[in-house]
Amino acid sequence: MATIQFDSAEERRSASLLGMWLFLATEVLFFGPLFFGYLRGRLAVHEAFVSGSHHIHFWLGTANTALLLTSSLTMALAVERAKLGRGVRLMLSLTAALGTAFLCIKAYEYASELGEAASARGGEAMFYFLYFAMTGVHALHLAIGIGLVAWLWLTARRYGERYSMPVEVTGLYWHFVDIVWVFLYPMFYLLERYNA
Amino acid sequence: MRYVAVWAALLVLLAATAGSSYIPMGGWNAFANMAISSLKALLVALFFMQLRHEGALVRLAAVVALVWLALLFGLSWTDYSTRGASHAPWSARP
Repeated sequence: MATIQFDSAEERRSASLLGMWLFLATEVLFFGPLFFGYLRGRLAVHEAFVSGSHHIHFWLGTANTALLLTSSLTMALAVERAKLGRGVRLMLSLTAALGTAFLCIKAYEYASELGEAASARGGEAMFYFLYFAMTGVHALHLAIGIGLVAWLWLTARRYGERYSMPVEVTGLYWHFVDIVWVFLYPMFYLLERYNA
Repeated sequence: MRYVAVWAALLVLLAATAGSSYIPMGGWNAFANMAISSLKALLVALFFMQLRHEGALVRLAAVVALVWLALLFGLSWTDYSTRGASHAPWSARP
């Protein structure tokens, strides 16, 4: 897999990793305005955000967080195994399955919340707008991640000690999407639960 | 095995953040949630994303993302806190 634009395999490796990290930096800025909007909205109409939060499913959100954190574990193990060149498919399958389970639960949540959201007014409408926009954009990222993991599964034969970069950079992307959810979860699910 | 330990720590932090939302602490609830989320993100970045093994360039890219986010938050914040809402001539005023 020699390519003339790099002097060494090590240089090629660091270029790929840096490229992915820079892409993730742009992703931070892509999500940034939504987080800023949430902050302003929460400060402006805190009460409406609290009552909106009490209408979404605490346990489904918590279970989904656990699923996603576990999928990050299996993704990290997939990267480790890709470098060893064996057993990577099992970990990729588990990662994709956990991601898909997350999306199924999210779809169920959306279906049960749509009626409520459509009739919400004022501050609560703003809460639902941010909830659907932010979790929706996150779900889109996760769906893309599942597609990438499926592609890694199909091409799993190629990866080994000498070449595992696609698995590594997909892992970085997957963990980033996990981190975004780690912040979304308390923002939407955990507002004054003691009053619910 | 280290990965499994990190995963266990993440689940413990998840239980802590979920549990803390049932304890009335006023503004400290939001603080606890954000602190725990930041800790979880740090664990994922350092261990799962291998940030602790990466060189200066990659670390710089990771930190610059946060610096840039803080800059844009700061600039937007000054905008929102020093200007009133303006309305287009054709839009209804509240």
